[in-house]
Amino acid sequence: MTDGPTDDGIGDRAPASDGQDAVAAETLALTYPDGTEAVRDVSLSIPRGESFGFLGPNGAGKTTTIKLLSTLLEPTAGTVRVNGFDVSEQPTAVRATVGYMAQEVAVDGELTARENLRFACDAYGVPVGDRAERIDDLLDLVDLADVADTPAERFSGGMKKRLDAATALVHDPQLVFLDEPTTGLDPKARNRLWEYVQRINDRGTTVFLTTQYLAEADELCDRLAVIRDGRIVERGSPRALKRRVGGEVLEVTFEGDSSVHRAAEIARGTDAIASAGSVEIDDGALRIVTERARATAPDLLVALREQGIDVTGIDVRAPSLEDVFFAIADEETAGLANAPDGEDDR
Amino acid sequence: MSAPGADADALDGVSPTDGGDTNRNRPGEPPTGNSLLGDVRVNFARWNRKALRNPTAFFLEIVAGVFSLVLFATVFGDVSEVALGRVGYGNVAYLTYLLPAVLMQATIGSAFTSGVGLVGDLESGMFEKVLVTPMSWTAVVAGKSLSELTRIVMQLLAVLGLGVAMGATIETGIAGIVGILVVCLLVGLLFMSVANILGILTRDEEALNAATMLFMFPLLFLSPAFIPLSSDLELVAILNPITYGVEAVRALVLGEDTLSVIEVTQFGGLYDTLVPAVAILLALDLLFGALSVRMVSRVSSTAAE
Repeated sequence: MTDGPTDDGIGDRAPASDGQDAVAAETLALTYPDGTEAVRDVSLSIPRGESFGFLGPNGAGKTTTIKLLSTLLEPTAGTVRVNGFDVSEQPTAVRATVGYMAQEVAVDGELTARENLRFACDAYGVPVGDRAERIDDLLDLVDLADVADTPAERFSGGMKKRLDAATALVHDPQLVFLDEPTTGLDPKARNRLWEYVQRINDRGTTVFLTTQYLAEADELCDRLAVIRDGRIVERGSPRALKRRVGGEVLEVTFEGDSSVHRAAEIARGTDAIASAGSVEIDDGALRIVTERARATAPDLLVALREQGIDVTGIDVRAPSLEDVFFAIADEETAGLANAPDGEDDR
Repeated sequence: MSAPGADADALDGVSPTDGGDTNRNRPGEPPTGNSLLGDVRVNFARWNRKALRNPTAFFLEIVAGVFSLVLFATVFGDVSEVALGRVGYGNVAYLTYLLPAVLMQATIGSAFTSGVGLVGDLESGMFEKVLVTPMSWTAVVAGKSLSELTRIVMQLLAVLGLGVAMGATIETGIAGIVGILVVCLLVGLLFMSVANILGILTRDEEALNAATMLFMFPLLFLSPAFIPLSSDLELVAILNPITYGVEAVRALVLGEDTLSVIEVTQFGGLYDTLVPAVAILLALDLLFGALSVRMVSRVSSTAAE
């Protein structure tokens, strides 16, 4: 993965929209008639060719945002241009230049893989002369050439998902939306789909994907936005977001859950951690973020030993995106997240 | 992954079919997609292909029609001819009298599969997938409906052919058969609309199949489909759309005015039945068609939930 030019720095900002962006959304909002604010004040600027990830828990507004960007929903406020076209004014042009894969697999089970692709070619008006070759090309891309003439209802979940992805690409869209592309797939199928997403992006297609899997965003995306309760709470490259966490992560596990609270007290009393680190209890384990994790670890082990606490495992690792969530949550607790949104939301 | 802003064309070597930039649209020139007729054809082809993949339902409709024809003619034949004589159809064979009823039955049964198709698309996600294509929504609906109407015509021709082979007569000839098909399609459109509305309300194929029976037989029996109605039932029949379908088809089969529920005289002969019946069916088609289109578009604009 080549990092984009805007990769560095905590205050990571996308370049100002110049009309050439694949997605340029300004203060996008969707409020349902019942008052539910599914998406609030989302601004995005995604350059062509980028692989952009929208990361957030269930119900955060990821799918709603994708539907707003792909013309399936009308925003109640804000403007969106996709591939240079206004989503509200020129929806047909937007639809013709984007591919869309919904979270739930969408294939016609009565039709074969080839027929599904053929229908998609027809629907997007792919030039007749190109169709046969493009269908074969896509069947190869998603490894379904062997079962091209089998009705899709006989496919496994992973195969259907891959077929779904292929049908979103028949018109060689400039931009493809993938809504939680690997949800419900087994690890093997997920890794294969990751490969296809990378291949698609390598071919020059801008990728916009949503995910709950942090590893997935880390693997596939040049840049991320973290969304929660319909609002973007963080954005940056995976690297910058990890740096945001503020150091390495030291994880200590114990025999039984009873020791962990006592251990947390001891850790908080350790000089190095008390001055420049944070201590959390996460699923029965101690999770300490500090810039000096490696130096701290032996001191902490000795201190725990002295108090008679048995340590069953210790691990120092680079921060994951999960740790980003913790960092954001910490800031919110500290009241930092109440800073005006417009500032770091661009 | 490629750097932002990398020119896509530089990567064309990866996929040779993308060469020549035939389909990748450039900003500033809105892509056109297909023509409206092209979109209709695409959807027409999809639904035809799906029907061919599962031909049992198609043939079952024909079998059900023929079955009814044989069954009713055999069981009620003699009794009915007495009844027919009493209301002035003494010279009409019951089989001929029955033919419009069986055509209506085949039409309604087949029209309800339209709702089944919609439910299938809503469940499989194809509904939303079609929505994000540049195809015109009108063309999507038209293509699907045309495919269903084509199937109804084929089933009607099969039932009609078998009916004639069994001895039913059509007084108005080829022009009459075309007219019969047109009337049946008007009834078909009405029940396709009803089926789509029910499909959206229930989102359940089973419920829809049950609803087919629930609609079909009461409506047929509460019309002059199988036997001339007693005057007690005429009040109900006047509100029953099937009455107008059956009477219009029957007028074309017999070549005379058959409409019993309302009195029309100014058009002359079979047109005294045909004109009011077709007018009523057209009005109902517009009403229910508009309602179903409205409901389907509401589903499409709230696809997020």
